[in-house]
Amino acid sequence: MEVMMKSRKLLWLVTFAAFSIVVALYVFRNGEAELSQKPLARVSAIDSTKCIAPKEFMRANHMQVLQGWERSVVREGDRVHIASNGSRFQKSLGTCLGCHNNRLFCYNCHSYANVKPKCWNCHLSPMETP
Amino acid sequence: MKKVFMPLVMVAILALIPFVGVQYAGLSYLFGVIIPYTAIVVLLAGFLLRLADWLRRPVPFRIPTTCGQEKSLEWIKYDRFESPHRFWEVAARVLFEVLFFRSLFRNTKAEIHKDANLAYGSHKWLWFGGLAFHWSLLIIVLRHSRFFFPMVPGFTDLLSHVDGFFDVTLPTFYITDAVVLVAITFLVFRRLNDAKMRLISLQTDYFPLFLIAAIVVVGVFMRYLTRLDIMPVKDQMLRLVNFSVDAPGDIGALFYVHLFLVSVLAIYFPFSKLMHAGAIFLSPTRNQCNNSREKRHINPWNTAIKFRTYAEYEDDYREKMKKAKLPIEKQ
Ligand code: HEM
Repeated sequence: MEVMMKSRKLLWLVTFAAFSIVVALYVFRNGEAELSQKPLARVSAIDSTKCIAPKEFMRANHMQVLQGWERSVVREGDRVHIASNGSRFQKSLGTCLGCHNNRLFCYNCHSYANVKPKCWNCHLSPMETP
Repeated sequence: MKKVFMPLVMVAILALIPFVGVQYAGLSYLFGVIIPYTAIVVLLAGFLLRLADWLRRPVPFRIPTTCGQEKSLEWIKYDRFESPHRFWEVAARVLFEVLFFRSLFRNTKAEIHKDANLAYGSHKWLWFGGLAFHWSLLIIVLRHSRFFFPMVPGFTDLLSHVDGFFDVTLPTFYITDAVVLVAITFLVFRRLNDAKMRLISLQTDYFPLFLIAAIVVVGVFMRYLTRLDIMPVKDQMLRLVNFSVDAPGDIGALFYVHLFLVSVLAIYFPFSKLMHAGAIFLSPTRNQCNNSREKRHINPWNTAIKFRTYAEYEDDYREKMKKAKLPIEKQ
């Protein structure tokens, strides 16, 4: 009986500890997200003449790149993307869509794969531009 | 504790096999084509054979478990759903059992109190946890139909929409992903937390829980953390449902872990307690009408017995009985 009570208490303790760690991680995750007071770093203008990475890479990883952009722009005010070859780009959907200007550019694959990110909740979708 | 760790280790090994196989040995054809086809064949054939086996067993008498008044005389009120006597009443009872786990709702718990009194109380946690677990899994599987149909059926599209109601994170967080993880955690700890439950729980109770948990965790990883490229996955799944044997495209190894664990689940299914999914429909204690008072049920494989009535006996011995002055019924 004694042993059972002990193991039971231990179990609760472990559960509680794991839970606290998760909560703590979540709470302190925002520490890095202090609103920065420095002025937004910008590249002079949107340059849509070349791609920021090879096609194959972008096909498989554009979601990571865009999510990274969203975070670093909104949370850190960093608007400059430095490509692996050193060239600099403005972190903006406009950088991509300026050249990939087919209205169905996003839609075609996303509707096939039934992937519906909520980009267009805020941003203007290419399907909606005149 | 071996009972808990063995299945845990097994699931870990099962998850490592496809990861190593695809990442380092390039076996994507094995894990993307051969094993999934094998799994689906084993699942379907095994499932049907088990059902056929159960259907073959004769059940001559009415043995439903009931908890209500049986239908008898007109003026005695009877309970349609607790003691069904028509087919549709049985069907409704089975359906409510399958959809809402009615019998688990009646679950009770016995406890010995400090003053050594034995007390029974209502205990709904298993009902609630089980319901959350099964419904979430169902919704997740239905949502997965987007990988198998070129055009996603409108119904599952709606389902995904509702499931993503909170509209947070990218891609949208699904409520059922969290619910199923919490429910599995509860179901595991329910077995670990109580001495009686620990005693009666077997490896085969933990294994499916861990396996499904691993499938869910890998799925969640793919969706929210590594953000898997869906295009080649959808290509591959459309090939599979069209019975094509072409090699899969370039898909991340994590997907093969997901798919392999699902294949293992499918193969394990017909051999394990997971067959309760089919068995619930074939349980004689649930799918029979309780109509023994309405209708006589005769065991069809009883050997025919030649009965001899008293009248026949008397016919044979009447004269002798008269001589012995025994009373006879017919002169
Ligand atoms: C018992 C069967 C299965 C279960 C319980 C399951 C569970 C899950 C869960 C919980 C997720 C997280 C995201 C979500 O809820 O949609 C997920 C994602 C995923 N699953 Fe499954 N899965 C199963 C079968 C399959 C099969 C057969 C495939 C083969 C196509 C598959 C492919 C995927 C993919 C590609 C993702 C990532 C989705 C995304 O990134 O949006 N799953 N799975």
